[in-house]
Amino acid sequence: MKQGRRSFRDPFDIQTPPGAEGWESMYPSYLQFGGELAERDKQKLWFFDQMHNPEPLYPFDLMMPESWLVSLNQYTTRVWNLPTALGIEHRIVNGYLYLSPNVIDDPAMIAEREPVFLERARHYFEHWDEIYANWVAKATDCIERLKAIRFEPLPDREPTETVLQARGTTTAFDLLTTYSRYLENMHEMAYYHFEMLNLAYGAYLTFLEFCKGHFPAITDDLVARMVAGIDVILYRPDAELRRLAARAVELGVGDALKSGAAPDVVAGELQASAAGRQWLDELEAVKDPWFYYSTGSGYCHAKRAWIDDLRPPFAALADYVRRVERGDDLSRPLEALRAERERIAAGYRDLLDDEDAAVFDSLLALSRQVFPFVENHNFYVEHWHHSIFFNKARELGAVLVAAGLLDTDDDIFFLHRYEVYRVLYEAEARWALGVPTRSEYIWRAEVARRRRIHSALEKWNPPPALGVPPETVTEPITVTLFGINSDTIDRWLAAEDSDGLDDSFGGLAVSPGVAEGVARVVRQVEELDELRDGEILVCPLTAPSWSIVFARIVAAVSDGGGIMSHAAIVSREYGLPAVAATGIGTQVVHTGDRLRVDGNTGLVTILERAGVAAAGAVGA
Amino acid sequence: MTSLHLRVPAGVAPDRGYVVATESCLPQHLGDAGGKAVGLGALLRAGQRVPSSFVVTVAAYRDYVASGARELSPAMRKAIGQGYSALCEQRGAEITVAVRSSATVEDSTEASCAGQFRTFLGAAGVGEVLEQVEQCWLAAVEPQVSSYRAGRHIEAADDGVAVIVQELVDARAAGVMFTQHPRTGDRSLIVIESSYGLGEAVVGGEITPDLFEVNRITRRIHDSRAGVKAFEHRLTPDGRSVRTLPVDHERRQAWSISEEHVMALLALAGELEAGLGRGLDVEWAIGTTAGAEGEEALYALQVRPITTGPRRPPAASPNLAAVDHILGRLAGQRPGTGAR
Repeated sequence: MKQGRRSFRDPFDIQTPPGAEGWESMYPSYLQFGGELAERDKQKLWFFDQMHNPEPLYPFDLMMPESWLVSLNQYTTRVWNLPTALGIEHRIVNGYLYLSPNVIDDPAMIAEREPVFLERARHYFEHWDEIYANWVAKATDCIERLKAIRFEPLPDREPTETVLQARGTTTAFDLLTTYSRYLENMHEMAYYHFEMLNLAYGAYLTFLEFCKGHFPAITDDLVARMVAGIDVILYRPDAELRRLAARAVELGVGDALKSGAAPDVVAGELQASAAGRQWLDELEAVKDPWFYYSTGSGYCHAKRAWIDDLRPPFAALADYVRRVERGDDLSRPLEALRAERERIAAGYRDLLDDEDAAVFDSLLALSRQVFPFVENHNFYVEHWHHSIFFNKARELGAVLVAAGLLDTDDDIFFLHRYEVYRVLYEAEARWALGVPTRSEYIWRAEVARRRRIHSALEKWNPPPALGVPPETVTEPITVTLFGINSDTIDRWLAAEDSDGLDDSFGGLAVSPGVAEGVARVVRQVEELDELRDGEILVCPLTAPSWSIVFARIVAAVSDGGGIMSHAAIVSREYGLPAVAATGIGTQVVHTGDRLRVDGNTGLVTILERAGVAAAGAVGA
Repeated sequence: MTSLHLRVPAGVAPDRGYVVATESCLPQHLGDAGGKAVGLGALLRAGQRVPSSFVVTVAAYRDYVASGARELSPAMRKAIGQGYSALCEQRGAEITVAVRSSATVEDSTEASCAGQFRTFLGAAGVGEVLEQVEQCWLAAVEPQVSSYRAGRHIEAADDGVAVIVQELVDARAAGVMFTQHPRTGDRSLIVIESSYGLGEAVVGGEITPDLFEVNRITRRIHDSRAGVKAFEHRLTPDGRSVRTLPVDHERRQAWSISEEHVMALLALAGELEAGLGRGLDVEWAIGTTAGAEGEEALYALQVRPITTGPRRPPAASPNLAAVDHILGRLAGQRPGTGAR
């Protein structure tokens, strides 16, 4: 299929965007391209992690990729000893995260790792349900310990108890040790995140490949529908909104929710009546945990959760109330969905010869057994835990503002987590001294400089990949989660050749159907207000919590994401055609362009450019 | 030599077994009635809507060849004439028919010679029918057909051609359907090629047909591509012959059949596979039967096993537990092969 060896841009030839000079100082050197490894790094494929980090990394948020750099890769390399894979490397280019998988091709090394891997992985598969039940307990406990962590401003003077109890250490010392526990908590959750994920994706991928071997035309979406759970935790936040909308209509307070006013105005109005207060109580009751639901991927502090910003859930509530009043039944038809899932599976199974059907059945059964972990870990880790984690960082930011070292709570996100140690130490020193120190000037100036650099980096368009692609990509996480395979790479290469001027581009077909409409390019959740009914959403990543959007759009196109990304799952739920992992959608499409989105083939066609008169109608 | 114990059509004298009823043609009659007749017989027994027809057997062809291939004997004329009259009596009018070779080798899976034999569309009246049957016989003895067969190593003893005389459907659209993907062997897809008018435009590769790939599980159109239908073969207004008409620009690029028709074909594929087994190549038409003012309907005209060799994935190992398959995959083996 490939003629010769084509490659992407050399990662060592990337220019710094104007105004972003010095960006390297915001990130650790070990995550940057450097001369020592130049010859090696130039020969590898580096793909942009659009899915988790569509924007330039904030130094504090780098905790997330750095955690999985350690936890996921330890599982691959040292725990499971995957015979053909080593860790996935990270590099930061102009503030954006690039990833590169590593394969083992030395037969001796593969043979040496294989028995270790088989014994260990088999243990997990054979005890899956028990291990998963224990996993839920560990994850929940980790979240509870994170919730219990408090960062409070240093008092004017040490409390009397320190003396009366003869503690010896002070609240400033506590601040440092609490911060340490806080980081350890995040690191611990990162291990749980990847404890079962490799194996679960492996089970799914095996079933997917089996299906594609027998049914080359089967779409990833159909395989996902056979495997995916019907009543999984990831749907709960939206289900709670639907239920609350129905309750509001029952209680006669739907009008307040429909008003479209700001959430605090709506709440104020509801407070005025007994029924309204009743509804607000019911809202409070579901917030923990269901509103710990990020509007992004859970990897960036700037994407707030519902618990922090009620606008997205209230916008959805307004829409749901209208639908309840129209007489729509908003509850998900679980029985019908289950029946549909079984019908699809039986349909494919019945087309197979007996021996193949037996394998199909056993692979499907095991995929379904492991899949609740894939779906549910997303809520526990990325939504619930990470949302709390970022809010605790803000709490700590407020401590540093109170200590006089930073200007705003959010300044902390411009500091790497280990720099925060230094700042905390200097805050402790300032508190100890009781006189001005240079710290108050140094860190403020540094944050201001980094804010300028970060906004310059935001204007840069990161290419989907750099370096030299390998012959094939088979590593399960890369294939299943990131949607990177030989086809993706060919598409990106083709797009690079055409400078994105082509009138069509491809991606992964993640939700079936074909739709035409006007494009709305949305990069931030705040821009969703501009979206009109019937438009096609073009975004870096369709986050599931943009639920209100899915009821109004006719199709979704995302730069990142794979078939099992959060985006794909929700698009299928809403029955929208969706194409993911285009790499370039938000760069080549402009709001107002007329698009055709083919969720069966993954092809997105720009039918007409915004502002260009129609040259000829295109047949449907 | 195979013996023939087939039921003759009502009203036809069982004279030397020259003519038999299509529904009585079973697979073991391949050598007497040819593959098309066997396929049609199966369609009829499966209760499908098929235009009425009768079969002129290989015995008639052999006697014709033995006589020096000069003229039809009175017994042949009588038997074929009675077969045609019986069809006309069913309709209460003189009907227009298609006259097609039904070769004993044509539909075998070893050698797909589809299109190598003769088809005449639009014979009306006993005289034309007799003439076209004779033309089919003459085509069968032509040298290029013989050499084609020799190249495929088909025994001369299997030679012989039957002829099907079948009522012509006044087709608005027609084409072929494969009940699994002919190239990939994907059983979840049916593939339909369709164009305006009689199916010969599609079967003979004369135009670029519309293409539909339909997922039989979701019942959705998986892929479709409008063809370029430059012309169509239609019955003349008097219904007695077929002429070729240009297709105007607008219709050329429009779909030749509707989504409802596609779904009807999907249903037909399921019924046919249930009765006849997997992997079928079906000729179909949507239209009215000639000479009658009947309702438009979907007709199956022909069915045969798909003759191309589809790629199949390597057989799975049913003795391995799911865990072993998955561990093998994670250990870096390519699916199904055990190799890296």
